[in-house]
Amino acid sequence: MKRYILKRSLQSFVTICLVIFVVFMMLRMMPTSGYFTRDDYLNMTEEMRMVYLKNLGVLDPPLVQFKHFLSSLLSGDLGRSVTVYPKLAITTILKEKVGFSAAFGFASEIISITIGMSLGIAMARNKDKLVDNLGTGYAVIVRSIPSLIYLFLIQVWVSKIFGLPMLFYKNRPESWILPAISLSLSSIAWYAIWLRRFMVDEENREYIKFAKVKGFSQKYIMKHHVLRNVLVPIAIGLPSDFLLIISGSLIIENLYSIPGMGGLLINAIKQMDNNVVQILVLIYSSLSVIGVFLGDLLVVLVDPRIRLSESEG
Amino acid sequence: MKRSISWLIIITMIASLFTGCSKETSGSYEDVYYSTFSTEYKTLNPYNLSSTAAYTMVANSIDGLVENDKYGMIVPSLAESWTNNEDFTVWTFKLREGVFWVDNTGAKTEYELTADDFVEGIRYIAEPKNGAKNFSTISKVIDGLYDYYWNLADFDDGVDIGKTREEVIASFDDTVGVKALDKYTVEYRLRSSTPFFLSYLIIELFYPVEKAYLDKVGENFGTSMDTMLYNGGYYISTWERDKLVVLTKNENYWDKDNITVKELNFQKVGDEITGLEMFQRGELTGCSVSADQLKALKGTEWEKYIYLKDKNTVTYWFTMNFQSKNPEFQTFANNLNFRKALLHGIDRVKISSLYEPNNPAFFIRNTIIPENTLIDPEGVDYTDYPNLKPIKDTSPYDPALAKECMQKAVAELCNSDKTIKGLSPSKVDMDNIAAFDSDGKLPVELVLATTTDPIETKKALLIAEMLKANLGEENIKVVVGYAANSFQDEVFSPMNFDLVDDSYSFRFGDPSANLTRLTTDGSLNEGGYNIPEFDKLVEEALAKNDIKERYTKFSEAEKYMLDNVYLMPYMTGGGSYSMSKELPYQTPMGGFGLTRFKMKGAKIQSKPVTTEQYNEIKTQHDKEVKEKFAKGK
Repeated sequence: MKRYILKRSLQSFVTICLVIFVVFMMLRMMPTSGYFTRDDYLNMTEEMRMVYLKNLGVLDPPLVQFKHFLSSLLSGDLGRSVTVYPKLAITTILKEKVGFSAAFGFASEIISITIGMSLGIAMARNKDKLVDNLGTGYAVIVRSIPSLIYLFLIQVWVSKIFGLPMLFYKNRPESWILPAISLSLSSIAWYAIWLRRFMVDEENREYIKFAKVKGFSQKYIMKHHVLRNVLVPIAIGLPSDFLLIISGSLIIENLYSIPGMGGLLINAIKQMDNNVVQILVLIYSSLSVIGVFLGDLLVVLVDPRIRLSESEG
Repeated sequence: MKRSISWLIIITMIASLFTGCSKETSGSYEDVYYSTFSTEYKTLNPYNLSSTAAYTMVANSIDGLVENDKYGMIVPSLAESWTNNEDFTVWTFKLREGVFWVDNTGAKTEYELTADDFVEGIRYIAEPKNGAKNFSTISKVIDGLYDYYWNLADFDDGVDIGKTREEVIASFDDTVGVKALDKYTVEYRLRSSTPFFLSYLIIELFYPVEKAYLDKVGENFGTSMDTMLYNGGYYISTWERDKLVVLTKNENYWDKDNITVKELNFQKVGDEITGLEMFQRGELTGCSVSADQLKALKGTEWEKYIYLKDKNTVTYWFTMNFQSKNPEFQTFANNLNFRKALLHGIDRVKISSLYEPNNPAFFIRNTIIPENTLIDPEGVDYTDYPNLKPIKDTSPYDPALAKECMQKAVAELCNSDKTIKGLSPSKVDMDNIAAFDSDGKLPVELVLATTTDPIETKKALLIAEMLKANLGEENIKVVVGYAANSFQDEVFSPMNFDLVDDSYSFRFGDPSANLTRLTTDGSLNEGGYNIPEFDKLVEEALAKNDIKERYTKFSEAEKYMLDNVYLMPYMTGGGSYSMSKELPYQTPMGGFGLTRFKMKGAKIQSKPVTTEQYNEIKTQHDKEVKEKFAKGK
């Protein structure tokens, strides 16, 4: 086990380094016009644009820039934003934004898992009955209709019906409800439909039939056999899901005006804010790699039959 | 039963806690202005502003030397009075005494506003490392500023300028034309005679900054509410990035009696639909109404509140590519009759109706310089000068004339077998905008570059149809090319277009604001034309100090440009439908600069302004403006 963890940690580290290096170099291959708006072209002369770029440090050779990036990173300095929030320290941006996305992401994960799983179990247990059909209908609607449509309807109509605010306000808890629910709609369907599928599959296995014949109660079989086995494929993704809640949601945060991380990476790429892109890529890729790693470990805990390395057991 | 009643009471009480925020009012007007922004304000560093939202926030929290009043006239702000020498090259401003900078709690700081603060402002933007992007607007106005900047920039670039960086910086006070004569007197020495210098002072680049404070916060200047100081009517009391900015009335403000609204509240929304909905729920002071929303509101109770805002100084014009990679178009573009055919063949009113279906003709503009913006000492509008008046008032759209011009162009440029003189078949490659084989024969291929935005696409297809119908299918073939990502990178920079249109803003109070940028080597010459006659006229105009003579010369230059169809203005910006509780025409007005975004004097009533009320106030205001300007100021 220890050897496995060590090996995986090393692999993860190499992966992260590679991702950062590749992204860094690719950003340097983009044309420098991304640093300017259309207005800048009308107001600045060619020479002034060069001076501007020079002061940003983007005219240095890419490897030199990479060296600067690494050395300041190692000394704990994440640098400053260039175009998205000119001159603002990236640590400040993260400090201001991560909390919002994490809070909503966490709430939504909890809602999705509890409601989604309960729904999934209920559907599996009432296969082909009303609950199952309603649940399937819900999942099909949520996953097939473009989310913008129903999210927008929720924002405008549901808020009107219940007298809830249309935007998020930090100091008005009732304004947190709609975004948290909206954020969960799709993942509720995801959890429900997969759990149902795995359970139905599992229930048709020979050993379950055997247990039934042996006279165990339906409840006992569900709890001790079906659910445990079904949790394995779900558990593997949980750590990533929880770690990546900080990345936020582009659509929901935009609709409800939540100042979270949602659009940050996209904005930074669009406006060629290389410093911000690099740091975000570093964070997100690290979290993904760690998430997968933790997922593997979690599976072992859930299902003792699974072994991570051959030498053990 | 009892239990359910007690629950009901608890729930009602909690609900009333949340909904019970009542709106404060003073007298008959409201105290808080609620607004939204959808493009983020990146920074509030006054020298690096980039969006209207940021303009509004800075304009209301920092003052410059002068400002606009509600009639658009320039009036004293931090400067109490000023004088200039005879040839308008030295301007001296006497500052208001006892004005102090305040911090983000509204408390007076130890820093008094002095003449030095204005010198420091210029010193800040003159440092290339500070990256003030609009610097070029004023770099050639103040004496020595341009050279100072380029000495530093060249030094950083490794060019030997014969001096060290420190030496250049030390030379600022001697070489750059801005000086604190005493604590309350600042003097600007200009490079050339500039009678309209005051109109530059409402641009943020002339704003003051406190040196000691700037040194303290360093690079963080303007990145949050506690890294900047305020001397305006408001200070920023809340700044949650991408969420909420609250400006609170500055009780230490020199003109606090005219700050009628106590708080300005701006929150971010995802799109404009939310704005209308929030306005209807009473959460906003005003909102804009799109053409589609207008249709939906027709016949509802809201219809009586919708009014059309004034158009602004932004002008849309078509640019032709005189150095096109498409040899057929290049040949034709350099022919006056063909350009006239284009001018007369495009129906501007139809294009305008894409934006404003109800009154499209209102938004037509045929001149480069906007109307109602530059008024000479006798009260005559620049666009009413004899050179421009006929152009301003006549719609150039005339299909018959277009056809005639096209036939003349064809007769001049083509052989009898419809091949174009001097051309042979070739390949045209405009990257992802267009690529085709040119046969060197009629019809002429014209690449119309546009974006994938629905309205822009509609507009391009409309123009293609018009040209086909009015110039003849046998004469012209329009190829519509789409830029998917960056219009600048795909279209303008590589010159991948034959015909393109864009909007252009107006920067300060002189025709040179756009006309010098349109000279052969100016930054607005995106079609690559070469017109020495126009350049010469502009140069001559720039040398005139008398406003009337100056305008006359400039109007001559503009007329030359338009008569020879080097570009085709067609529409104004602005003029959206709106609803608001704020009375119109109470706050500073202007066609450019920053101070027009001030909320000084704003009045917000409890009910939305009705269309009738709006028009009444507008008529009255127009009358007052006319009187003011007729008096000759």
